[in-house]
Amino acid sequence: MSTTEKAVWLTDKRWHDDHPELGTDPIPIAPYISDEQFELEREHIFGKVWLPACRVEVIPEPGDFYVKDVEVCRTSIVVTRGNDGEVRAFHNVCAHRGNKLAYDQSGNTKRLVCRFHGWAYDLEGALRLVPDEDNWFDLDKSCHGLTPVAVDVWEGFVFINLDPEPAHTLQEYLGEAAETLDGYPFAETSAQPYTFTTVFNANWKLVKDAFQEVAHVPFQHHGSLPDGFVSKDNPYTHFIDMRLYGPHGRASLFGNNQHVDTPAQALASAYGSTMVSSVFSGESEVTEPVGVNPTRSPDWAFEMTVFFPSFFLAVTEGTYFTNQFLPLDINRTLVETTTYYPRPRTLAQRFSQEYSRVMFRDIFLEDGRQVEETQSMLRSGAQSHFVLKDEELFIRASFREVERMIAAGVATSGSRQD
Amino acid sequence: MTPNTLPDAFADLGSWMEWSLPTMGERSAQRQACSISDLEAFYHAMLPRMADVLDFLAEIAPDDAPAEAMALLHLAHSFAEVAPAVECFGQPAVSYGYDVARFIPGPEWAREPSGQ
Ligand code: FES
Ligand SMILES: [Fe+2]
Repeated sequence: MSTTEKAVWLTDKRWHDDHPELGTDPIPIAPYISDEQFELEREHIFGKVWLPACRVEVIPEPGDFYVKDVEVCRTSIVVTRGNDGEVRAFHNVCAHRGNKLAYDQSGNTKRLVCRFHGWAYDLEGALRLVPDEDNWFDLDKSCHGLTPVAVDVWEGFVFINLDPEPAHTLQEYLGEAAETLDGYPFAETSAQPYTFTTVFNANWKLVKDAFQEVAHVPFQHHGSLPDGFVSKDNPYTHFIDMRLYGPHGRASLFGNNQHVDTPAQALASAYGSTMVSSVFSGESEVTEPVGVNPTRSPDWAFEMTVFFPSFFLAVTEGTYFTNQFLPLDINRTLVETTTYYPRPRTLAQRFSQEYSRVMFRDIFLEDGRQVEETQSMLRSGAQSHFVLKDEELFIRASFREVERMIAAGVATSGSRQD
Repeated sequence: MTPNTLPDAFADLGSWMEWSLPTMGERSAQRQACSISDLEAFYHAMLPRMADVLDFLAEIAPDDAPAEAMALLHLAHSFAEVAPAVECFGQPAVSYGYDVARFIPGPEWAREPSGQ
């Protein structure tokens, strides 16, 4: 953007104009509280799409494994790195009598051994040893390996797909939205992750919605972020840019470069990127990927990509974060959020990262309270619809995609039964 | 092991050693257990020393950090922990926030420093 061009929030540009197919009507609350809806989402969405399982740094060596429970699909997945160095994924279920195979969250082993009767599998999923084998009836071990799950890796993120025959490859699924991040230094920036996990008592879509707009920042985050993402010119934290790529979305987030650091923030910023610092420059190396800050706005703070159904990836200079929201039931959502940094070279850098870790957490706690309070009111029936504004485009798009996938899934399974 | 001592240059902060806690879970629990005036006292004791603390820590790589330096780092981490309480909220907890005890932090290091 040239400096003479007006910032988009000062114009009458509306994002919805780019997407007339989405309409502008209010969207119904019922799907956020309906048990039947949840069953449809389970079957036609979460059982069909690519879901992130872990980063490759979690399983760097042959023999490494990582367990990802996917409650919404009523399963647990074990992601492994085999002796051949390949990443694979299996249902974490023993082929003898169905016990959960790996109880540990992660580890390194030559064999995954079932704790029930000792069936042992290699990390490629083959059944290798059955104690008291002769007591079975002509047991052919080659027919009793682990049940494989589709797996693929994009930029170091391991994705799984629980559909036995995924409709799309991972690359097709992530599509252009992923391409916008080509060139971001994920490998270099992922050595030191800080993760938080929790269960929000709220529907997964409500949790997602709270993170796919930033119009709430001046209000809900007034305590933690009084001037980081608002300015006199952009008092309602309008996006710099936003675009939909099929079911996914990407937006450039505004940062206030007149922001004044608190004393602790100033100390931390001197030793690294703190996410809420005054170093938003639109000119760093990070902005080189064409799709990151594509308008080259000098007010840019973050590029946020929202992958359907519920994986967020937000990159900035020297750090990025991810959120994954996986439903447990209609009213409960497993939240896993991680900020990533290079491994600190000095203890001062480690301090800087700690400051960001604390701030990121405290900001998130403001969101967490809201999603639970909102969910607690939805069943009152007092309101039947959410009334969305232009900046809430992603909420509308994601709602429409949920509707579309369920309709398509119901149509297909209907025709299968005919 | 966290020793009871800080590097010599920071002996003056020795009376705050109860804040030299190695994990976020411990630091956060202590923040929530204190009154805002306790937190302010700690914050204002640390603030004028933090530039020197960071100068010192900037010379030390995680993999050869002496135990005293790690103790100082953990004290600095507690400064980071209490900063938003003092600078943003004016109370120990996030104002109108979710219960931090339900928000479980992962490990402090992806790979533990192999220090002395
Ligand atoms: S259920 Fe696994 S060995 Fe029996
Ligand atoms: Fe928020």
